[in-house]
Amino acid sequence: MPRILAIEDDETTAQEIVAELSRRGFDVEWAADGRNGLVRAVSGDFDAVTLDRMLPHVDGLTIVSVMRNTGINVPVLMISALTEVDERVRGLRAGGDDYLTKPFASEEMAARLEVLLRRARIQARETVLRVQDLELDLVTREVRRGGREIALMPTEFKLLEFLMRNSGAVLTRTMIFEAIWGYHFDPGTNLIDVHLSRLRRKVDPPGSEPLIKTIRGSGYALNASF
Amino acid sequence: MRRSELWRTTTFRLTLVYGAVFAAGVMALLGLIYASAAVFLTQQMDEIVIGQARAFHGVPSSALPEKVREVEIQDVRNVNFYGLFTADGVWIAGNVRRLPKGAPLNGIPRELREPGFQPGARALAERLPSGEILFVGFDAKTLAGLRAIILQSLIWSGALIILLGLGLSAALSLGPLRRIREVQQASLPILDGQLSARLPTSNRRDEIDMLAGIANAMMDEVERLLWAVKSVGDNVAHDLRTPLTRLRALLYRVREEVGVSEAHHGMLDQALSETDALLARFKAIQRISEIDRRERRAGFARVRLHTLVEEIGELYGPLAEEHGLSLLTETEASCEVLADRDLLFEALSNLVGNAVKFTPSGGSIRLRLTRRIEGPQLEITDTGPGVPEDERQAVLERFYRGRQERQAPGSGLGLSIVAAVARLHEFSLVLGDASPGLRVTLDCWPSAIVH
Repeated sequence: MPRILAIEDDETTAQEIVAELSRRGFDVEWAADGRNGLVRAVSGDFDAVTLDRMLPHVDGLTIVSVMRNTGINVPVLMISALTEVDERVRGLRAGGDDYLTKPFASEEMAARLEVLLRRARIQARETVLRVQDLELDLVTREVRRGGREIALMPTEFKLLEFLMRNSGAVLTRTMIFEAIWGYHFDPGTNLIDVHLSRLRRKVDPPGSEPLIKTIRGSGYALNASF
Repeated sequence: MRRSELWRTTTFRLTLVYGAVFAAGVMALLGLIYASAAVFLTQQMDEIVIGQARAFHGVPSSALPEKVREVEIQDVRNVNFYGLFTADGVWIAGNVRRLPKGAPLNGIPRELREPGFQPGARALAERLPSGEILFVGFDAKTLAGLRAIILQSLIWSGALIILLGLGLSAALSLGPLRRIREVQQASLPILDGQLSARLPTSNRRDEIDMLAGIANAMMDEVERLLWAVKSVGDNVAHDLRTPLTRLRALLYRVREEVGVSEAHHGMLDQALSETDALLARFKAIQRISEIDRRERRAGFARVRLHTLVEEIGELYGPLAEEHGLSLLTETEASCEVLADRDLLFEALSNLVGNAVKFTPSGGSIRLRLTRRIEGPQLEITDTGPGVPEDERQAVLERFYRGRQERQAPGSGLGLSIVAAVARLHEFSLVLGDASPGLRVTLDCWPSAIVH
């Protein structure tokens, strides 16, 4: 069971994080200020950290820098009320793996953390991604399902690669938009749905077992067991 | 500085009026001097002719012609005129050969108006005790000379006054005009929405400074009020977002953790999506403020517009197709522009998203990039209902939604975000008629401020 450290000074937000992550089967500990958080973060007892940007005593940027300098390379999800683009860049440059702005939806936070944990676990640099009978060759850029070749547009290829790399995890629309198009604004729900449904038509033809699942109210998942 | 501007300044006009008044004063003064001198000189001439006539009174009749010749020789200036006539008026001696007609023989000097004499010449005629008639005249050469001098002075001083007056008024007007120019220059950024700019003041404390001071005080107040209004909006958005997010988290947990029936699940989903819509709206308000707060040019880099257009086409193609629309992208040339890539993409995304939202099925949307002399121009046209002319400015403002659009989903802030992005870049955003449909043009060069 992955252990998560939530460093967050706002009690209500902390409760939300703890509740959501516990519900998903994580073992969550809460640190309410920067000093306490820093001590526990560098202890090396945790698999991932959610880190508030602005904290009493020691600020979030310092914590993540200290972690990286002491060789603690577990995933860090920065959470901040500072929405400016510069802040995101600073957060990521200091060593954060992802940046989420407050206020946030709990499932968005959990989905991002799960993706970070998954990414940390997969070390191998595979050239072919496989999920059940679906195959994606990163070198030849060929996609096959059950041996049958699927022709994908460049965007669809990127989308499928992202889904396959994170198979089993819920990916919110915002996460997909950020990962595939690289922009950080709210493009509206339909836009991403349409791209997903196109991809689904190609990947999950009638008669086959659907691999791309819509998670109601949250986003999408490939080969999810729920 | 244009000449017509100079003519119109108050200082110029005032100085000219002063010049005219001064010229009139000089004329009056010289006129008075001339009049007084003329009176004085006439008196002098009268006394001279009376005295000269008197010199003949004791002279015996036979010696008179000799006396006349004698005084004539003594008159070097050639201003005295004499005539000696018999009692019948026949000439005897003197350089006046003919007695002027109608001259009363009373010995009183009067003006002589005869050809050969300057105006103002004086003369008298009288009968001598011996019976002869004596005529004595004095030509007004001095008076004529004085008149010429005064006239010349008038002409020269007049010309000098006019020239000096014009020069002085131009010089005096230039200073204030230059300061007005400065004020004009300083007010351009204010008109452009940069409310922190102020008009320049000097330490002269003159009327321009007074006006600039008043204008600056008004600007302070406008800025304060505007910030107050803005921050109320932002604070409301900020303050409501957190509890709304918590409400959403609670709804989400109820749906996930509490065993509810399928029907209740649907209701919870609806409640969640309503909350999401509200959150999107508040997020958009904060987004606009954030864009407005940004330093101009901070985060600007060279952006390839044609790549941006292709990306948009690729992003929105499937959605347009889903709505039964054709989305065409045309890039005439490869254009680069100094801009914030993310914001420009967001703006274009909003514009194309709107076009998809409002264009009925079967229509088309065209995104075009053309190169103009001034710079690249982006144009989005659709075959939708368009925006009525009287609403085109209003739709760019916060929360405004067109009459036909109220039923459509969305925060109603998409165009406001586009407008904020255009403001940040100093690009001009124009809504026009594509007949039928809406044409939105974004001129990707700093807009010249025309007022």
